[in-house]
Amino acid sequence: MVETFTPAVCGSRRRQRLALAGFAVGAVAASALVGAALGAVGAVLGTQLAFLVAALALLAAAREAGIVRVPLPQLRRQVPERWRSELPLPVWSVGYGIGLGLGFLTFQPVATFWVACAAAVALGKPLAAGLCFAAYGAGRALMAAWPRYGQPDPTAAVEGLARRRRFLLLGNVVALLVCAGLLAAAPTAGAAIQTQALGAGLDPAATWTVVGRARMNSGSSTVLLEPRDGTPIAIAGAAAPAVDGGLLAYDDAQGVKVINWRTGELVASVGGQVAKPALDWPLLAFVRTDSTYKRLVVADFTDPASPVERVIVRISAGNDLGRPSLAAGRIAWHKLTATSSTIFAQRLATGRRSVIARSSVFVLANPSITSTRIVWVRQSSRSSILRLRRWASPAVRGIYRTTGSTRLLWTTALTGRTAYVTRWSLRTGASTLVRVNF
Amino acid sequence: MRRPDELVDGAAHALSTRLAGGLTRRSFLGRMGGAVLALTGGAAVAAAVRPEQSEAFHLCGHIWTTGSCPSPMGWPRIDRQGYPLRPGDGRPIDNLGRLVNAEGFAIDSAGERLVGPDGEPLPRAPRTRLCEEWIKERYGLNSHTQGSWYRCCGNQIRKLVDCCSRSTRRINGDASLVGYCWNGNRVFCVMYYDSGLSC
Repeated sequence: MVETFTPAVCGSRRRQRLALAGFAVGAVAASALVGAALGAVGAVLGTQLAFLVAALALLAAAREAGIVRVPLPQLRRQVPERWRSELPLPVWSVGYGIGLGLGFLTFQPVATFWVACAAAVALGKPLAAGLCFAAYGAGRALMAAWPRYGQPDPTAAVEGLARRRRFLLLGNVVALLVCAGLLAAAPTAGAAIQTQALGAGLDPAATWTVVGRARMNSGSSTVLLEPRDGTPIAIAGAAAPAVDGGLLAYDDAQGVKVINWRTGELVASVGGQVAKPALDWPLLAFVRTDSTYKRLVVADFTDPASPVERVIVRISAGNDLGRPSLAAGRIAWHKLTATSSTIFAQRLATGRRSVIARSSVFVLANPSITSTRIVWVRQSSRSSILRLRRWASPAVRGIYRTTGSTRLLWTTALTGRTAYVTRWSLRTGASTLVRVNF
Repeated sequence: MRRPDELVDGAAHALSTRLAGGLTRRSFLGRMGGAVLALTGGAAVAAAVRPEQSEAFHLCGHIWTTGSCPSPMGWPRIDRQGYPLRPGDGRPIDNLGRLVNAEGFAIDSAGERLVGPDGEPLPRAPRTRLCEEWIKERYGLNSHTQGSWYRCCGNQIRKLVDCCSRSTRRINGDASLVGYCWNGNRVFCVMYYDSGLSC
C-alpha cells in the first residue's frame, strides 16, 4: 500500500505522509463505524450471545489451524487502482482507508475479522464496539505505514513478514483460542450484562422456576404467573405479587392472600388496609396503612392458626415505605420523604438495621434482596439506574440504566444473578418488565 | 443488486468526474482546508469570547465565569429558601424535576396528582436545597448560600446568589474565586432568584 501512495522515484515524502494520514483517518473511522453498527445491532437483539461467539472463535481457530475447511465470506477485490489517477490524493487515500477499514470489501485471509464482528454484536454496546473496531482500522493503517520506516526497501519488509506467515497464523490461532475461553467465561464472570424486555407488566416477582408480574387493564390489575415448565396462571383482581417456591402472595380488595399457585388453595390471609406483600414462608411481610401511619409488618405463620406480627418500622402516612423484600432472614425496604430517601435492610433474628444507601438528592427506592445481594433503583431528573451490591462488599455498581421520563424504573425483583425491573412511561403509564442478567 | 464495492466504486467514479470537470487540485484543497478550519476554528472563537462582552455569560445577570449549581432541570432557579423552581415559570419542582403541590406531591400542569404504573398516586420525592444539600451530597462540601448581587433581567429584578464553600476548586474544576462569599469561603457555584419586581 505504501508503494501505492508514492511509487518508486515518484512523489515526495510529504505526499506520502499526507496519503498515509488520509488512509489512517479513513480506515479508523470506517472500522469504528462498523463496530458501532454491530454493537447497535447487538443492543437491539439483547440476547445472550457470548457462548455462541465463543463457539465461533473455536471454529475459527480450528480453521486457522487447518483442522477444518470452512470458506470465509469475502469479496475477492482490491482497492480500485484507477482512483489514484482520477481522484485527488486526499480523496483516494481516505477512500482506500475506508475500503480496507470496512473489512468486508476486500480479501479476508483469516477468519478473525468475522469472529470480531460476532463479538461486537454479543457485546451489544455501540461505543465500546466502535472503539474496539477502531483498533482494527489503526492496525490497517499501521501495516500501510510500517514497511516504509526503518527499511530502505519497503517490499523487503513485506516479504520478510510473508516469510513468517506460519508463525503469524499460529499466533492467530492462539489468540482465537484465548478469545474463546474469555467469551465462554464472560457471562459467569459478570463481564457481560444482558438485558431483555419481557413484555407488558409491573411489580415483578421471581424464583428460579417461576416469574410473576402484575398487568393493568382498564384500571384493574391481574397477576400473571409464568412457570418455566407449565402453563401461565392468571389471577384477576390481584396485584403486587410475591413468590416463594410454590406459594404466591398478592394483595386484593380484601387484603393480602397467600395461595398455593399450583392448586389455588388459600394458605394464609391478612385482612384490612394491607398491601405490598413480600414472602419468605412462613414469613409474610406487608405494609399496613391507616390515616396516620404506614407500618411495615412481618407476620410469622409458623403456627398458621395464630400468626405472630411484628412491626419493623412506622412512618408518617404522607411518606412512603414502598414494596418490601424478604429473603434469607433479612428484610429490606425504602423510606421516601420530602427531604431524603433511604434503603434499609434489617436482620430479623437480631433486629440489627443498616442503611444501605441514603440520598438527599436522588430517589432511592424498591429494593429486592437474596441471600447474597441487594438491588434497588436510583432515580434522578435525567436517568434511572438499577444499582447492585453484595452484602459482603460496600461496592455498588449500576447494572441497567435508562434516561428520560418515558423510561423510568420502578419495582424490582432479584433471584440469583438475574434482576427484574419495571420500566414505565410517566406520560402514558404503560409499563414493561425487563430482565437483567449480570 | 449491485455489490457494495461496486456501489462505492461507482460513487467514486462520479465524484472524480465532477471534480475533474469543475475544480483544480488547488481549489479543491483550498475548499477542503476552509471546511476543516471552520470546524476547528469555530470552537476556538467561541472559547475566546470574553465574559464582559456577553450580556449574559451563561445566564442573564451573571457576567463572571463560575458555573451553575446542579439542579433538576439544568438552570439553577431557586426560591427564597434555596429550593428548586421550574426555570420557565418559577413553579416549585421536586428533585426529579416534577411540579409539586404544597404538600410536595408530584402533580401535572392541571394540579392533579401524578400516578404510577399501578394507577396509584406517586409518593413524594425529596425536594432539597441546591446549595446546602445538593452540593454537600455530590461534592462532599459544607456549602452555604452567602453573597449575592442584583441585575435587571427580563424586566424584573434577578438576585444572583453565590453558593460558597471552603473549596479552592469551583464546580468548573478550576480555581475558585472569593466573589461575594465571606468568612474564608469561596464561590463554588451560582444560583438565581427572580423576584418579580419590575425594573
